[in-house]
Amino acid sequence: MSGDEMNPAAVAQAVEDIQGDDRWMSQIWRELFSPLHALNFGIGEDTTCNVLWRLQNGELDNIGPKVTVVWVGTNNHEHSAEQVAGGILAIAQLLTSRLPKTKVVVLGLLARGEWPNPLREKNVAVNGFLRTWLPRLGQTQFLDVGAGFVHSDGTISTRDMFDFLHLTAAGYRAIAKPLIDLLLQILEETPEEKRASLV
Amino acid sequence: MLMHHIANASLTDKVMSSGDSNPAATPTPGVDTQGDGRWMSLHNHFVSNSKDKEPDVLFVGDSLVQLLHQFEVWRDLFSPLHALNFGVGGDATQHVLWRLSNGELAHISPKVVVLWVGTHNHGHTAEQICGGIMAIVQLIKDKLPKAYTLVLGVLPRGKMPNPLRERNAEVNKLVQEAVSSLPHASLLNVDPGFVHSDGSISHQDLYDYLHLTPQGYQAVCRPLHVHLKGLLEKQAEN
Repeated sequence: MSGDEMNPAAVAQAVEDIQGDDRWMSQIWRELFSPLHALNFGIGEDTTCNVLWRLQNGELDNIGPKVTVVWVGTNNHEHSAEQVAGGILAIAQLLTSRLPKTKVVVLGLLARGEWPNPLREKNVAVNGFLRTWLPRLGQTQFLDVGAGFVHSDGTISTRDMFDFLHLTAAGYRAIAKPLIDLLLQILEETPEEKRASLV
Repeated sequence: MLMHHIANASLTDKVMSSGDSNPAATPTPGVDTQGDGRWMSLHNHFVSNSKDKEPDVLFVGDSLVQLLHQFEVWRDLFSPLHALNFGVGGDATQHVLWRLSNGELAHISPKVVVLWVGTHNHGHTAEQICGGIMAIVQLIKDKLPKAYTLVLGVLPRGKMPNPLRERNAEVNKLVQEAVSSLPHASLLNVDPGFVHSDGSISHQDLYDYLHLTPQGYQAVCRPLHVHLKGLLEKQAEN
C-alpha cells in the first residue's frame, strides 16, 4: 500500500469548475433511495482527490449517517490502479475516523467503453486491490455491482450505459438491487435510533 | 463555403467565417483522451443505428440532447414524433459538424432536425460559435435539402451571472440574425426564464447549473414539442 504522501490519488484536491452531477436520475433516487433517508453528494467527473477535498471541507460537518456509500475512481485518469485504490482507501479511512458510527460500503468500479480496453482492465485491478485492502479496515466492506454488464462478446450495451460509461435507468435499477439489499441489512443491524425513524 | 445572402454585410463577415479560420466551424472528431474510445463508439453506433430507422425528427447536439433521451419526457413527447437522438455529452459545434459530415445523415431523411449545441465551445468567441452553428445549418441543407433545421437557443449556465452566460446570449442573438432570412431554418428560444430576478439559477431547474432536471426539461420541452408539431404539419403540407 502506498503511503498517503506518495500517492497523488490520495491528495485532496478541489475542482476548479463544477462539471456534471449524477443526481439527474432523480426518478430512481426518489423511488429507491429517498425512502432510506439518503443524501447524495455525487459530482460528475470527480476523482478520489476531489471527493477527499469535499469531505475534508465541510460535507461531513453536520451529518451522522449510519451508512456511507462510496463510488469513485473511474475518472482518475492520471493515476495507476494501485494509486486509485489507495485514494479510495484514504476516503474510507477518513469516513471511519470522522464518522465513527458509520459503516462504509465501497462500490466496485464498473466496466466501461463499448469493447474491451485498458480502462476496463484498470478498473478490474482497482477492484482487486480493494477486495484485499478494505476488509482490513474496520466497518468497511466492498460490494461488486458490475455483474452482467459485459456480454459474452465483450461488449457493453447502450441499454445499460447510454454512453458506455454512465448508467441508464435500467442500468441503475440493476445495480440498485444488490446495493439496497446490503443497505437494508446493515440498517437492520444498526441499533434503536433507526427504528424510531421508520414510523 | 457558406453562400447565403445576408442583408447586413458586416454581419456576414462576423458570422460566415470560413472553416479554415474558425475552429468552431472546422469538422473535428472527438479525441479519446481517456482510453476507451467512447466518442467514436457512439458515433459508429449512431451511424449503424440509423440504417433501419425512418425518423421524422432528428435531435443532434451535446449533453443537453443526449440526457434528454434518458428522461421520460422523451418517451412522452418525442418518441411519438418518431424522433432519433444523436446527442453526445461534451460535444462542441466542430464535433457535431464532423459527425454529421461522416455518416450520421447518410441513411435518414428526417423532416426536421433539432440542433442544440454551443455551450461546450470552450475558448471560442460568440462569433465563432455562431459560425459553427451556421456551418452545421448549411451542412444539413446540403445533405437533406428538404429538411427544416430548428436551432435551439443556448441556455444560461452557472449559479450567478458569469461570462459564459453573456457569451451564450450573444451566440443566440447572432444566430437569430443569421437565420432570419433563411426559409429552411429558425432559432427557437427555449429558456422559460431560468434566471431569477436576483441573477441566480436554481438547482431545481439546472441541477449543476448546466444540465436540466426533469422539471427543467419539462419547462423546455413542452413549448418545443408544440413548435415541432407545427413544423411537422407544415412540412407535411408541402
